Amino acid sequence: MIKSKHKSFAENLLFALNIFIIFFLLFGSDIVIPQWLQPVGRLHPLILHFPIVVLIMAMMLEFFRFKERFSTEKLYHDFTTYLWLTGAIFAAFTAIMGLFLSKEPGYEGSTLQWHKWLGAGVVFVSTIIYWCRSAGWYNVKVARSGAAVVVLSLVLAGHFGADLTHGDNFVLAPVWHPEKKLIPVDRALVYRDVIQPIFESKCISCHNLDKTKGGLMLIDEKSILKGGKDGKLIVPGQPQISLLLQRVHLVAEDKKHMPPAGKPQLTPDELNLLYLWVKDNADFKKKVIDLPVHDSLRLIASTYLKPAEETEEKYDFAAADDKLIKKLNNNYRVIFPLAKESPALGVNIYNKSTYQPKTLEELSAVKKQVVSLDVSKMPVKDAELKTIAQFENLHVLNLNFTDITGSGLKELARLKYLKLISLAGTPLNATAVKQISAIKSLTKITLWDTGLTDAEVQDLQKHNKNIEFIKSFKDDGKPIKLNDPQLKNTTLVFAKSIPVQLSHPIKGVELRYTTDGTNPDSIKSAIYKPGLELAQNTSVKVKAYKSGWLSSDVVQFNVFKSTYTPDSISFIAPPNTKYSADGAKSLIDKDLGGTNFGNGKWIAAQKNIEIYMQFARPVDLHTITINCLRNIGSQIFLPIGIEIWGGADLNHMKLLSNVIPPDAKKDDPAMAMGIDCKLNTAKPITCLKIIAKNIQKLPSWDPVKKGPEWAFMDEIFLN
Amino acid sequence: MAMEKDILEHRLNINRRRFLSRLSLGIGSIALGSLLIPDLFSGSGSESEADFIPGIPNFAPKAKRVIYLFQDGAPSQLESFDYKPKLREMMGQDLPASVRGTQILTGMTANQTHFPLVGSFYDFKQYGESRAWVSDLFPHIGKIADDICIIKSIYTEAINHDPALTFFQTGAQQGNRPSMGSWVSYGLGSENKNLPAFTVLLSKGKGNGQGVYSKLWSNGFLDSIHQGVQFSSGENPVLYLNDQPGIDRRERRKMLDKLAELNDISYKEFGDPEISAKVQQYEMAYRMQSAVPEIMDVSKESDDIIKMYGPDCLVPGTYAANCLLARKLSENGVRFVQLYHQGWDQHSNLPQEMAGQAKDVDQASAALVTDLKQRGLLDETLVIWGGEFGRTNYSQGKLEKANYGRDHHPRCFSIWMAGGGIKPGIVYGESDEFGYNIVKDPVHVHDFHATILNQLGLDHKKLTFKSQGRRYRLTDVAGNVVKGILV
Repeated sequence: MIKSKHKSFAENLLFALNIFIIFFLLFGSDIVIPQWLQPVGRLHPLILHFPIVVLIMAMMLEFFRFKERFSTEKLYHDFTTYLWLTGAIFAAFTAIMGLFLSKEPGYEGSTLQWHKWLGAGVVFVSTIIYWCRSAGWYNVKVARSGAAVVVLSLVLAGHFGADLTHGDNFVLAPVWHPEKKLIPVDRALVYRDVIQPIFESKCISCHNLDKTKGGLMLIDEKSILKGGKDGKLIVPGQPQISLLLQRVHLVAEDKKHMPPAGKPQLTPDELNLLYLWVKDNADFKKKVIDLPVHDSLRLIASTYLKPAEETEEKYDFAAADDKLIKKLNNNYRVIFPLAKESPALGVNIYNKSTYQPKTLEELSAVKKQVVSLDVSKMPVKDAELKTIAQFENLHVLNLNFTDITGSGLKELARLKYLKLISLAGTPLNATAVKQISAIKSLTKITLWDTGLTDAEVQDLQKHNKNIEFIKSFKDDGKPIKLNDPQLKNTTLVFAKSIPVQLSHPIKGVELRYTTDGTNPDSIKSAIYKPGLELAQNTSVKVKAYKSGWLSSDVVQFNVFKSTYTPDSISFIAPPNTKYSADGAKSLIDKDLGGTNFGNGKWIAAQKNIEIYMQFARPVDLHTITINCLRNIGSQIFLPIGIEIWGGADLNHMKLLSNVIPPDAKKDDPAMAMGIDCKLNTAKPITCLKIIAKNIQKLPSWDPVKKGPEWAFMDEIFLN
Repeated sequence: MAMEKDILEHRLNINRRRFLSRLSLGIGSIALGSLLIPDLFSGSGSESEADFIPGIPNFAPKAKRVIYLFQDGAPSQLESFDYKPKLREMMGQDLPASVRGTQILTGMTANQTHFPLVGSFYDFKQYGESRAWVSDLFPHIGKIADDICIIKSIYTEAINHDPALTFFQTGAQQGNRPSMGSWVSYGLGSENKNLPAFTVLLSKGKGNGQGVYSKLWSNGFLDSIHQGVQFSSGENPVLYLNDQPGIDRRERRKMLDKLAELNDISYKEFGDPEISAKVQQYEMAYRMQSAVPEIMDVSKESDDIIKMYGPDCLVPGTYAANCLLARKLSENGVRFVQLYHQGWDQHSNLPQEMAGQAKDVDQASAALVTDLKQRGLLDETLVIWGGEFGRTNYSQGKLEKANYGRDHHPRCFSIWMAGGGIKPGIVYGESDEFGYNIVKDPVHVHDFHATILNQLGLDHKKLTFKSQGRRYRLTDVAGNVVKGILV
């Protein structure tokens, strides 16, 4: 138990402190706090928690003091008394510290006044009641209302104090955003809607009417231009020397860095915005859209604003019944909600053959809700535009390639929300388009491939500056080169004759060809007609012509005659497994390999290739042509020799031909070529052996200098 | 009967795991959840994932459809859209190590002792109001500079083709995830019920090629109706769509009706939702039988259109033909048209090969944008042009003025986008003077995906699908919408 000596000391102290507080409140304006006392003042936010807890506990005990159970408890009474005394002393100390702190720069305004007087009030009331609570008139009612007053004052003083330290609405700010709505870019001002919100969220809690730290307020144009005690905040156009930018760019540890350590910091974007705004002369009235399109300030600012075009268009009509929408929806009339929880609907109509005027009429049930309609390519007639005009909230309408003419278009003038209309591919006239250009909400009309002339469209554009008229792709007038003629034949190898099947994707093209190796021209060369047949090995060159176009490149192809097909074919010496195509029969499948050796149609080996063929009935052979590939860069060489052996059977074969192709040269172009072997025999042949000899000695100029080289073949023609 | 079905559905839908996870829902888990997901209770995050409804956008979309012109093999940014005169000045000098930094190189150039810088063999010009620099290889794209947004600061994580391509297409490098087109099909549903929502078109240039595989347009764990449908050139653009000889439309109809009856019996017995999905697919294929030939028919295209895309647009299987087809598919409500043009992998012989590739795609790519514009469709169609990564600023192999190669470079490259609410006529992001590192506004692949979904009215954080016990997104756990390129 505390001795009474201590108690009376504490009571005297409390009295003294009260006197001091009254003195301070009366003459505060003349008092100057010495620097060494400032830390004491700054302890205010720490100490204040003690009196709050202790006093509230004391008040609770006081509240129930007269209850029968407690009224005779000595411990209860003593404890309440001491607790009360302790709380009041703490409150007095806290108040004095608070008074010291309030003398520091930056604390003023009505919030401070409320906090100051409520805080002092807590001290006075708790002190007065402390001395009166033993008096005879002090009954239950007085005790309870006194306790209630103290607690209420404590709560209010605490609330205003918190507002001073943390700024308005500190507690609820994370969950409650009063009317924080995004402004559309087109209506936004740079200062009001972009810069001011930064001040409000990061600066104004210390620089406002109530609390003007550094003598600075950031509440309006006047206060910002005025600056603080260190001078002007902003030098328009010169962010480098503006105090505002200097302070926010100081290192975080610097005492003068703003916002102070521990407070929410500016984001890189916000720093950028402040810099760019000051650089742009710190204009308070400028609109965001007055800045150049690619201006950094505008670009960053736009991310804080809502896009100008109303993406989130507000539709105030009621939603249509889900069941009704479901009923109207079918495979060729698709109705979809614009977005979740939006009453607006979009409608697309597909399939010409099932379209009827009824398809649109049935939509009257949702005529309020349809905001976009796409009927492009449907046989929509002028009369049906009346139905479409009922869709009063229509914003987007696609009538491309419908059957409308200009005459019905005026019906649509009723659509007062229409923004985009596409009319491409319809036979319109300028008068009709004029009628709808009067719709105020329109922003774009697509007029490609309509009856309007360029001059008419320009005239419309001149008179309707808010509407973008889209005419068409402008051809620069230069003729374009035709693409290559196409050969449709599936094989170029034939036994007796081959019909040449040429075509060109573009209508009205003339294909001219030659068979004598010269390049075709547009006058003398023959014009290709279906039915052209070739009966000999021929090299055909063909070129496409059309007036108004540049002629195509020359396309060359060769047809090969192969009169006989052996009844069996096999390898004596097999080729490389990587290049064995579909086996030996690939050599007589009438499918040529082109120039791409990796396409699986070529047979190849790094040694000799030996082939054996047999005919069921003897054949009269004169020439054997072996189609080989040459590609020096890829180490593919023609065989250095081809031997052809033949006879009536396997055991009676004679050498019928021995051909030595010309020596390879370094710059030989890569190409497939046939090597003809004439047979010096008149006897019919049943068996045939072909040996293609691979190059043995590397030429000195061989690029890789590492053998062996390759020999490739894809087809053998027998005539 | 209906009651019985409900019971069946219920039985199929509830399992032990779901029961347990429902049970655990309580105040405690909400509080814990709010710690783990900080914005659970704040204004922006108040809608939980659960209220994403497949087929309905989260907010009003800017773009209804996407056409993605994928340049497979990775075209060089330095010969297309990222103009670096410094590289020409420093021709043959080594890339400073400080610029290369810690970049890991591919096995193809890691052993090079020198990294000789090489400038573009082709000159650049400025085009349009935007004064964007475009190389002489792409004069037609230059002419639409004011309609497109060139992003010069995109980057990826993969350095080899397959993972990089898979990353761009599915948001993950390993494959087996749904393709972006499948996600869009799942998120928005199909616009035209007579065509698949996601189609794929392939073409091939003469340059060094890299393969594309059907895993790139796979539906992954999503329902199989979201799989990309490949349209090929030739007589059967969609495989197995034609009736067999001897079966006419009426026979087919009768067959489908009978089949539907049988499937219905099966559905009543087992209640498996896959059965009714199958019936729907049969029906769609039936409607496609009449819709597809109409789309593939280019005979009614006017001469102007043919000149615009170039005469190759009439040669099936070319890039130009696929661009024209892409427009027709998109115009008919196909949500996502994915093109691939192969042959952009110029490790060597770049000046010559790239010229051929550029000639394949330049005119038709530009024509597609213009064609959509003149039909009033560019506003609602997002066109994307780009490869899976960029190419190095130094030469791979021997450097000659007119003959050099470039290796893979994931750290910084260029793509462009047009329409669909993307700001036209701007250049976004910047690379350093070597074209090696990004110095301003980097755009990661996840950011790119988030932005595309955003334009389609889909919140990339809400577009989720639960598979094997966790929710998946196209953007994994990353991605920010690139606001700077939005209108």
